[in-house]
Amino acid sequence: MLSMKKINKVFKTDLVETHALRDFDLQVEEGEFVAVTGPSGSGKTTFLNIAGLLEGFTQGEYTLDGVNVSRLNDNQAARIRNEKIGFIFQGFNLIPDLNLAENVEVPLRYRGFNSAERKRRVEQALEQVGLGARMKHLPSQLSGGQQQRVAIARALAGEPRFLLADEPTGNLDSLMARQVMELLEEINRNGTTIIMVTHDPELARRAQRNIQIVDGQVCDFTLYQGGDEPQAARA
Amino acid sequence: MFTIKPVLSSLMRSRTGPLLLLLQIVLSVAIVANAGFIIQERLALMQRSSGIAEQSVLSFSLYNFGEKVNLPQQLKRDLEILRNIPGIKAATSTNMLPLSGSGWSDRFIDGPDPETAKSTPGFAWYLGGEQMVDTLGVNVIEGRNFRADELNHSITDSGMKALMSAPLAKEVFGEESAVGQIMYQGSDNQIEIIGVVEVLQGAWVDSDQFDYSVIQNIELNENRSNQFMVRADRRDVPALEETIKQALRAENPDRVIRNFNTLRELKDMSYAFHAVMAGMLSIMIILLLVITSLGLSGMVMFNIQRRTKQIGTRRALGARKRDIVGMFLVENWLICFSGGLLGGLLAMELGSQLMTLFSLPMMGWQWPAMTVAGLLVITTVAVLLPARKAALISPAIATRTV
Ligand SMILES: Nc1ncnc2c1ncn2[C@@H]1O[C@H](COP(=O)(O)OP(=O)(O)OP(=O)(O)O)[C@@H](O)[C@H]1O
Ligand SMILES: [Mg+2]
Repeated sequence: MLSMKKINKVFKTDLVETHALRDFDLQVEEGEFVAVTGPSGSGKTTFLNIAGLLEGFTQGEYTLDGVNVSRLNDNQAARIRNEKIGFIFQGFNLIPDLNLAENVEVPLRYRGFNSAERKRRVEQALEQVGLGARMKHLPSQLSGGQQQRVAIARALAGEPRFLLADEPTGNLDSLMARQVMELLEEINRNGTTIIMVTHDPELARRAQRNIQIVDGQVCDFTLYQGGDEPQAARA
Repeated sequence: MFTIKPVLSSLMRSRTGPLLLLLQIVLSVAIVANAGFIIQERLALMQRSSGIAEQSVLSFSLYNFGEKVNLPQQLKRDLEILRNIPGIKAATSTNMLPLSGSGWSDRFIDGPDPETAKSTPGFAWYLGGEQMVDTLGVNVIEGRNFRADELNHSITDSGMKALMSAPLAKEVFGEESAVGQIMYQGSDNQIEIIGVVEVLQGAWVDSDQFDYSVIQNIELNENRSNQFMVRADRRDVPALEETIKQALRAENPDRVIRNFNTLRELKDMSYAFHAVMAGMLSIMIILLLVITSLGLSGMVMFNIQRRTKQIGTRRALGARKRDIVGMFLVENWLICFSGGLLGGLLAMELGSQLMTLFSLPMMGWQWPAMTVAGLLVITTVAVLLPARKAALISPAIATRTV
């Protein structure tokens, strides 16, 4: 499903070069729920951004859904993001001027769906996250947990193969975090592949597979079954 | 690329910024449309043909203060001298200068009995010699000019002959020919219309009867003060002032010769107010448009700052660069178009107020329409420049900012 081989990502600024990912290798199979942990600055977000085609990389090869996406132009990348990938952000990233339905509709408009199709999908997605009754509300009228559920609805409405989440519960209290996690698990059970970065070991443990990123490289804990904190073991 | 509804609802929710811009556009359209219209009216006034070779006609005044001067003799002599100066092709004395803002006016009546006769409209009343026509360079399109032997020297003489400007002839005689018609000044003075000139404007540029003129065969020769017009090649005109002064003083030093102006200079002075007005209005239009486009660009730049994360998020969700540019364009087109619509209505209202206040003609709807069209172009350019920067915002912003 997702295959990264020897991905390198170097950030160059005027003074420093940061090697955010070094010879990064990872395979993710269809239907997996992967939790990504690791120290701050280790390259988790960088990995997720590259996986989601939000930024390019310096070296290596990346195949997504059988397609080599290492060198795409901007429009091609936008199209794949739109059709195959759903994003969930730590800060929810809802558009404050748009109501919930309009927010969920955003990627569907870029997809070019007609208005009936958009309406159907918006209703279905908001229904699925339990906010079907609040379509006309503005994001500011919701709690953080509810906002994140709207963001999930927005990610789901396009029926992506992939869900990428960067600390989706980072801004939520533990109760809301658990609700969001349950929602993600349900989505995964329905067949969507999920990669989630988290700092919360408890949530990470609930995922099928844990990987840890340290210093821009992967430590894999396939089918980690609970117990103590995973120990770093370089792959 | 261009979607309207969510852009509109987002606009409706952000209120003040767009509202201020809207107001600015409403006012800009109202003012620019009317100012443009007024400028156009003024320019049209200035571009009317005077019928005269303005740059080739030099005018001046002459005052004889000598005690023993024989005025009729002196005039005759002066005209001879002028006509003999190399470069001068024609010369005449005149009672008034065209386009100068001051002159003589009169009316004819169409019968000997002032009680029953119908009066013509007022016209500029030029009195001069047989070379008046050639000096001005007006075009005789019907009938003929008067001859030297037909000249009178007082307005009460008999044997009056006149040329009429075509617009006046048409107004007075309609489709009938003016040539051969007899008109009256009071019950005694008969005037025979012997010719029609195509165009000849009077002295007052703002008059409704500016195109109504008559040239009559009267060379007034009993005045100490006289005005002259001479016709030369345009290139020769600048040197003529000195030549004329020397030649006339050599003949008789006891006089003041001054006020040398080409008719073009007189015309420019008469239209100076209009020109200043048109210039100031043009500057105002440019300023308004510059301010409006700065406002548009400024607002777009402000919105890009404010919405950096939103733009990154949209890109992450699948927006192409051109979708981002399109979003800003649609947003500002909406503001511009609704501002244009309101501004157009305000412009028409303002136009009709100005019409009644300053007796201007009514502005056509084309003016606001053209202004709005122009503003749409300006909006597009003013928005496109910053919006293309916005499109360069990396989608990675979405995960990098919290
Ligand atoms: N745009 C950038 N320019 C320069 N350096 C960057 C840029 N983005 C990330 N980095 C650097 O790359 C490294 C990896 O960053 P990344 O954000 O992937 O870490 P992370 O694991 O997500 O950390 P955290 O847990 O704090 O979110 C860091 O050293 C960071 O400073
Ligand atoms: Mg991070």
